[in-house]
Amino acid sequence: MKKAENLSTRQQPIRVLGGLPMLIIGIILVAVLVVLVFVGSSNTRRILTNVFLYCTMACMWNLLSGFTGMTSLGQQTFVGVAGYSMAVMVTTYGMSYIVGWIVGGAIGAVLALVLSLILFRMRGMYFAIATWVIAEALKTWFTSWGFVGKGGGMTVAGRPDRTMVCLLALILCVVAIVLIYFLLNSKIGLGLTAMRDDADAASSVGVNIFRSKLICFVIAGLFCALAGGLYYRYNGTILPGSGFDIEWTVSLVFIVIIGGIGTMAGPIVGTVVYIALDEFLAKYSGWSNIILGLIAILVILFLPDGILGTLQKKLHFEILSQRRFSKE
Amino acid sequence: MLEVLQNIFTAQNAISGILLGGLFAVLGVGMTIIFGIVKLTNLAHGEFVILGAFCSTLISQALDIDPILTLIITIPLMFIIGMVLQSVLINRVMLQGSEPALLVTFGLSIILQDAMLLLFSADARKMNPSYAQSNISLPGGLYIPVLDLILLIISLVTILVLTLFLRRTYMGRAIRATSDDIVAASLMGVSIKKAYAVAMGIAMATAAVAGLCVGMRWTFYPSSGGEYLLRAFGVVVIGGMGSIPGALVGGLVFGLAQVFGGASYGLLASYVVLIIMLAVRPQGLFSK
Amino acid sequence: MSEPILKVEGVQAKYGDFIAVESATLDVPQGMIVSVIGANGAGKSTLMDTIAGVHKPSAGKVYFKGEDITGMPAEKLVTRGLSLVPQGSRCFIRMTVEDNLIMGSYPKSARGKLKESLERVYELFPVLKQKRNDLSGSLSGGQRQMVAIGRALMTNPDCVLFDEISLGLAPTIIKDIYARIKEISAGGMTVVLVEQDTQRAIRTAQLCHIMLKGRVVLSGSSKELTDEEIKKAYFGL
Repeated sequence: MKKAENLSTRQQPIRVLGGLPMLIIGIILVAVLVVLVFVGSSNTRRILTNVFLYCTMACMWNLLSGFTGMTSLGQQTFVGVAGYSMAVMVTTYGMSYIVGWIVGGAIGAVLALVLSLILFRMRGMYFAIATWVIAEALKTWFTSWGFVGKGGGMTVAGRPDRTMVCLLALILCVVAIVLIYFLLNSKIGLGLTAMRDDADAASSVGVNIFRSKLICFVIAGLFCALAGGLYYRYNGTILPGSGFDIEWTVSLVFIVIIGGIGTMAGPIVGTVVYIALDEFLAKYSGWSNIILGLIAILVILFLPDGILGTLQKKLHFEILSQRRFSKE
Repeated sequence: MLEVLQNIFTAQNAISGILLGGLFAVLGVGMTIIFGIVKLTNLAHGEFVILGAFCSTLISQALDIDPILTLIITIPLMFIIGMVLQSVLINRVMLQGSEPALLVTFGLSIILQDAMLLLFSADARKMNPSYAQSNISLPGGLYIPVLDLILLIISLVTILVLTLFLRRTYMGRAIRATSDDIVAASLMGVSIKKAYAVAMGIAMATAAVAGLCVGMRWTFYPSSGGEYLLRAFGVVVIGGMGSIPGALVGGLVFGLAQVFGGASYGLLASYVVLIIMLAVRPQGLFSK
Repeated sequence: MSEPILKVEGVQAKYGDFIAVESATLDVPQGMIVSVIGANGAGKSTLMDTIAGVHKPSAGKVYFKGEDITGMPAEKLVTRGLSLVPQGSRCFIRMTVEDNLIMGSYPKSARGKLKESLERVYELFPVLKQKRNDLSGSLSGGQRQMVAIGRALMTNPDCVLFDEISLGLAPTIIKDIYARIKEISAGGMTVVLVEQDTQRAIRTAQLCHIMLKGRVVLSGSSKELTDEEIKKAYFGL
């Protein structure tokens, strides 16, 4: 697959949709979304909040799996921890939800740093399973921990200002995308892409791969926590079984695969498809995961590069490309 | 504090833990085969086990027979499902690399989980044969639960049969040869795809046995798969990939962790053991 | 000269964009020992892998016993009587010596003769009989090579390709193994030997093919070829 990629690079130059035109399109898009947040119905706001939050997390999962080769099945760890932080700060200590949000994010980042001590000793499937085990262990622990209400979970006190939360979600999403863009175009991103494309070349770039991976993992932990905090402020109730649910990662995997793993804009496309499908399938409760699972398997079989990845290869363009490392 | 510890680390608990070890070993053995031979992380193994549990429950109810006898039907049934699954789906995806294959098994697990929810409802299930409550008394006030003993015997017989198959038959040797060297195996006339399909079939057959054991020992739900997948994975990690004797030891460790952790912390204890193992010796205790 | 049992016509083999065998044409007559000589990277091993069905050719034809076997997978070819001893022996290291040999009789065509074949291999390499219950991973390099050869013979082949079996072995062991190969050939089997050592190849084989940069550049009987010719072809002078 990598060979083919290089081949197509050689045959036809790739047009990169970036720079000023993309910036203008992006600003217009964000402006439209801001207007929608304020004028839209409460249902529109709910859907938009979900889009922004899932998009944030999917971009982060893509950063981990698609660009640094760390397939995590445990991003729900950060969602759950941040959700509980929000609930504890607001309900138990009577703080404002902004404080709860920031505390949740900080705990997420620190947790990522601590977990990296264990997780970075593993590779591939061991890494994947270990991240999941950690989330399950937290779920089991929280289910019997009195401070967080055991299996009954917690409620985030007060009525949320949903317009504000939705707006914060949008800001979070934009910051996440911009951050990933600059990260992948920095020396760190160059090193990571080099490692992904050609392990030998990576050492010659002279980038500390371990540190780069650590930075990505902590950033992913931080943003998944921030997204989780907002999600539970918006929805109000958190249970051990929902906060640390593998379902979170299921969604992220689905979004990234559908959109195109390892492409910059794939998760954005994937999120829109996912949320649309999710809203549509809500009518057929019970069937949604079956249909999502089938779609994911079919996409892996027949469109291994996802929707955006396939389009990009066919039409020779890239949206917000990161610089590629190649031997030529 | 000491009293609490004395209450936990009793001889009776040790007996229970050892008896449960067989169950956990058979849970892990299917996973370890797929790991070692097909080199695939099968994230749907937990759902396969629960599927086996449902099949046994329904068949034993429908035919009004002892749950153990349902194995006559569930083992061949699951074997065929496994072979078909590997031949039509997983062999194809594996050509694209290990990560897509991992994600496909992940997709399978969520499909199966919701399919079982639709088919069998979210109710808790358990098989309760007449001997489920009886005990064999031992001197010193100790006892052996009959059910646990039967489950241990079923598990050990399964592992023995599997070991003999892998050691003594042409197909078994071909499967071992494939896990050692794919090219050399194909030079001996082994069809790699067929060897993989049979290996997956065997893994599914062990999942049928594990499902029966799980369904007789504990209540289960369509959503219980994840829990058993992680335990199966734990057994694999402790025992080493592809090692059947290793799976026995791994099963024992998890059986003891389950019992000493007690009702509320048994699962947590298992997870902690697994995380420590992953961090310290991810290649397993028994591999070089 | 009898009808060739194996015919290779203009075979090309690639790894991705890299062409390992440009265009190879050679004949292997029935019952002979034929050597394929060439420097490192001449494409000998890739050619053997391609003939034996481990690697798919991108062009050209391969005929075995008069039938077109181009692109046929290894597991099918072995049942037709074509066997390869791969480079570096590739024993099943976690299996015992005897299990390795029994794997050789996995093709249905060979299963009936398991006992006789096993006896014959133990006769050829008595040391394997002593170590029959040891894991092949614990053997020395020479013994592993014997296991690999024995395993190939167990498939009941008409033609065996030996890919650089002398690589990394001590001279006395090489001498012993080559003596066995002559014995095997005397039994009527066709043998193809891939070698880097031209002297040894010419001494053993009746017919030689010399490869350079992915092509067969010189073919002839060992007696007719002069040292000068071989040297030129080998180094491409």
